[in-house]
Amino acid sequence: MNESAANAATEAGNVASADPKGSTGEALVRFRYKWIPTHIFGELLSKPWIDNIVPATILLLVVAYFGSTVPNFFLHGNVMDGTRQIGELGFVVIGMMFVVVGGGIDLSVGSNFALGNILALALTNVFGLPVPVVFVAVVATCSFIGLINGILVGYFKLRAFLTTLVMLIGLRALVDTILLKYALTISAGYYDDDFWYFIGDGSVLGMPTSLALFLVMAVAMHMVLSRTRLGWHIMAVGGSRRSAHNAGISLNRTVCISYVICGSFVGVSAFFYAARLGNGGSYPGVGLEVLALTAVIVGGISLGGGRGSVVKAVIGTMIVQIISLGVVQAGLLSGAGQLVLGLILLAAIGFNVRWVKNQDKVLSRVYMSPTYFDLPAAPSTAQEADSPYASNDRLGDVEVIGLDQVDGAEDIVFDSSDNLFCGDRRGNIMRFDAPDYDTGRVFAHIGGHPLGMAVDDKDRIVVCVGGMGLYRVDQSANVEKLTDETNRSLFAIIDDSRLRLTDDCDIAPDGRIFFSEATIRFDMSSWPSDALESRASGRIVCYDPKRDITRTVARGLTFPNGITLSFDGQSILFAESWACRISRYWIEGPKAGKIERVVENLPGYPDNINRASDGTYWLALMGMRSPALDLALRVPGFRKRMSQEISNDEWLYPNLNTGCIVRFTEDGQIIESLWDKSGENHPMITSMREHKGRLYIGGIFNNRIGSLKLKSGDPNWTGPASYWGKA
Amino acid sequence: MSTLLSRLFSRRQAATVPPMDGVLRPNEALDELSAIGSIAAPDNLVAAKGKVFFSSGSDLYFLDRPGNKISAEPFDRFSAEITALDASPEGALAVGVDGTGIRIVGGAHDGVVLDVFDTQPVNCVTALAFSGEDELFVCLGSGHNSAPDWQRDLMEKRSSGSLWQVGLKDKKARKLAGNLAFPNGILVRGDKLVVAESWNHRLLSLRIDGEKHAQAFTLADLPGYPGRLAPAANGGAWLSVFAPRGQLTEFVLREDTYRNRMLRELSSEHWIAPTLRAGKAFTEPMQGGAVKVHGVHKAWAPTRSYGLLILLDSNLTPTHSFHSRADGKRHGIVSACELDGDVFIASRGNDVLCTMPVPHSGMEGTS
Repeated sequence: MNESAANAATEAGNVASADPKGSTGEALVRFRYKWIPTHIFGELLSKPWIDNIVPATILLLVVAYFGSTVPNFFLHGNVMDGTRQIGELGFVVIGMMFVVVGGGIDLSVGSNFALGNILALALTNVFGLPVPVVFVAVVATCSFIGLINGILVGYFKLRAFLTTLVMLIGLRALVDTILLKYALTISAGYYDDDFWYFIGDGSVLGMPTSLALFLVMAVAMHMVLSRTRLGWHIMAVGGSRRSAHNAGISLNRTVCISYVICGSFVGVSAFFYAARLGNGGSYPGVGLEVLALTAVIVGGISLGGGRGSVVKAVIGTMIVQIISLGVVQAGLLSGAGQLVLGLILLAAIGFNVRWVKNQDKVLSRVYMSPTYFDLPAAPSTAQEADSPYASNDRLGDVEVIGLDQVDGAEDIVFDSSDNLFCGDRRGNIMRFDAPDYDTGRVFAHIGGHPLGMAVDDKDRIVVCVGGMGLYRVDQSANVEKLTDETNRSLFAIIDDSRLRLTDDCDIAPDGRIFFSEATIRFDMSSWPSDALESRASGRIVCYDPKRDITRTVARGLTFPNGITLSFDGQSILFAESWACRISRYWIEGPKAGKIERVVENLPGYPDNINRASDGTYWLALMGMRSPALDLALRVPGFRKRMSQEISNDEWLYPNLNTGCIVRFTEDGQIIESLWDKSGENHPMITSMREHKGRLYIGGIFNNRIGSLKLKSGDPNWTGPASYWGKA
Repeated sequence: MSTLLSRLFSRRQAATVPPMDGVLRPNEALDELSAIGSIAAPDNLVAAKGKVFFSSGSDLYFLDRPGNKISAEPFDRFSAEITALDASPEGALAVGVDGTGIRIVGGAHDGVVLDVFDTQPVNCVTALAFSGEDELFVCLGSGHNSAPDWQRDLMEKRSSGSLWQVGLKDKKARKLAGNLAFPNGILVRGDKLVVAESWNHRLLSLRIDGEKHAQAFTLADLPGYPGRLAPAANGGAWLSVFAPRGQLTEFVLREDTYRNRMLRELSSEHWIAPTLRAGKAFTEPMQGGAVKVHGVHKAWAPTRSYGLLILLDSNLTPTHSFHSRADGKRHGIVSACELDGDVFIASRGNDVLCTMPVPHSGMEGTS
């Protein structure tokens, strides 16, 4: 075996001397993964707005087609007339969108529109009321119709389709009756008002009035739908009525409100229409419900509810309006426009169904995007090797604390009264009382998975909770959230403001808390995906309790994990697990804000770092490197396909079953390593904390805490004393 | 649409392996057996004239007083590792020695050395079977690699093994089949031969006249790599499955870039490849399900080594199976033989020989 290993070594040496950077093929791979950021596709695909791409493309194609085939399509007058109509239709579509997103449908918009139109004409031509009064009256009337719909559908639980169909017929009959009696009066009347002309024919900043107001309303409604409680409620009800109910949302009220909104927007649209045409005939609004529904669906809003946005409604409106006008201008029969719209509607529905069904599947295939990562050959860990990493059995006689009382104590910490605290997979902070630490009890419950911990000058425990953020627990077990969000990066596609995987923290002398977030691309349970990616997507964040602000101070780190404050308080040392290195981030002094490498090419994956009593540092290696995985890091396509073609349990992993503890100096010299090769007493190691001459060891997959008597440890040294000068 | 998607997202079939189910449902039978003793790399168990012979490296041993208090006694020593062994009805031994060929020990042809078949040097002898005193059937596992280098042969996707019929009187050899994917076990049944073709996970059935039998694949798509076949008293056979198939291995087998670099740049104990005993060093590749939680190595964890012995009935249909799972301590079952109601089993992965009584034919499962 030794011989073959030696042969392999010489072989590797030969390869290296012939071509120190590997083959040209590998150089290409390296170039490709350095400069072509394929992971962006997955991030884009995970955004909710990504499905706008399809309707937007259709819109461009439609404009391009009619622009090139219809003469004078882009003529100023033509564009003004078209966009004025887009403004009018747009109000109806936004109203319809609210109802559809809320899980309903409103077929009565056409009749309601006709009612609004006739009312506006009557109030102006016959009664000569001022324009603002007319506006309020029309919108109020149409909203009232919407309210009737809303009460019937929302509170009496009548079927939306039938209810609004009845409303469609009933209102149309009402409008026809009114017209029968008053058509002549309305048409004969005359209303001379500049403001009324401005609304019908004027322009604002070169845009038709209706379009200008429509754009303003669209922005406002986008805010309502995506940023307000009401909008979220409508989305939630449309997405899943049962879940929304269980979350405490009033279904009746929310559904009712969506119809009222729809009615009011129909009123606005009718008001503009009346001002533009003054048409007292009976055809206004006929077929408007079909046009509005087509626009909603072509825009990509799901008829099933819960999925939609104002942007989609706007795009859908433009597509529908341009096609209707374009077909007429192209000289086709007006029926041809309906046919084209019908075909597009069919295609849009088909695509929407496929998209909703497959989006997650496609996303799960493309999201994971391993990158090229080249690690030099690992230093030897062989027992007989002349290396500080040479494996041994110095951890063999570890004593066990709290067997089966803890589950996943990633980190351990001591307060100034020697009590031991650790996290737990069940979301608890466990406490073992000094001096014998034989029984653990739940000290505080936070949730998530508490990971790295630190003790501050008031003996409070600051803890990074995976999946939740940075928390603090005082000695009376009061839990306080310090922060769960940071500033969003300017160019990040995914929203990186929320903290997803806070990992370890330490406290600077001035009280600032520096903590690591291992990755912004994956949740805690998906850490193997991040390991396979080996992408630099982690960061270090600083929380300043004095000003209560959180700021990201370093980005682009490869799974930053353990953090500890240096003895001089000028810098923090942090471990980058998948990069197998320790770096220093200066928080004070002339180099503040700079990062320096301290230890590189570790033989395993570093986790927590903590102070040792003699001015050096302890480092936990949670797992060891394997040549097969190191090679896979240089073949990104292999890992990508592996993630797609075999199940997660079969993936090639970092070997987390054997770890060790390493001690290193301030300038990065490795002094010694402590191993438990058999792994019987303490199977895995993610953290260690020196306290009064003993080393206490935690492991994220363990059901115990280890304790080892140190030969050279200072029996009086404690962490709180080292940090805060307490005895 | 779907063709576009499949081109964009490379919809290859998922890498799967057949499940261990039915008769092959996992148990801990092998781990419960009593050990005869630990011996380095035991292999090639053969029953001859009431004795059980086996090899350990280049040494040949026999078991004294099998069935009572058993001890291993040295018998002979060869120049290199013994890769195959069989005994004739009269007790002559044919010994495959790595790098030198086949040597006959005892019987009428004592001292005969077979080192060339036709013009082909006899290399990589993986299985031997006497038919009478004067005729020998020989499996040469590979035309490229030696028998101890079987991992490389698998990972290079070789299919260069061959099957030979040799007359011991005239030393004349006839090739019965070529281009086999590592033939690694052989059984003579009347006018038929059954051959275990390891890399194709199946048993082949051939007529001795060399023409392929109509029902060529007696047992196909096994969940592991079949090795030695030994006759059983029930008219069937004991099939040693020396390593398991795994999704990761199957996946690596179709990843040419990675596989070639792995073969070239890494030493064999670090390969992603099946082995007789995985987990000896922490530098070996490890898979997700094998992460210990609460200090427990899960029995169902994906593993590159396994222990599996299958009893076939006279139709060569599996009736019983004996397992040592991912967390077990009897991996790499390379050989087994039956003598006087007892089965002797060599776990080369764990360097141990063990024994158990032959199960009654009516019994379901193992127990």
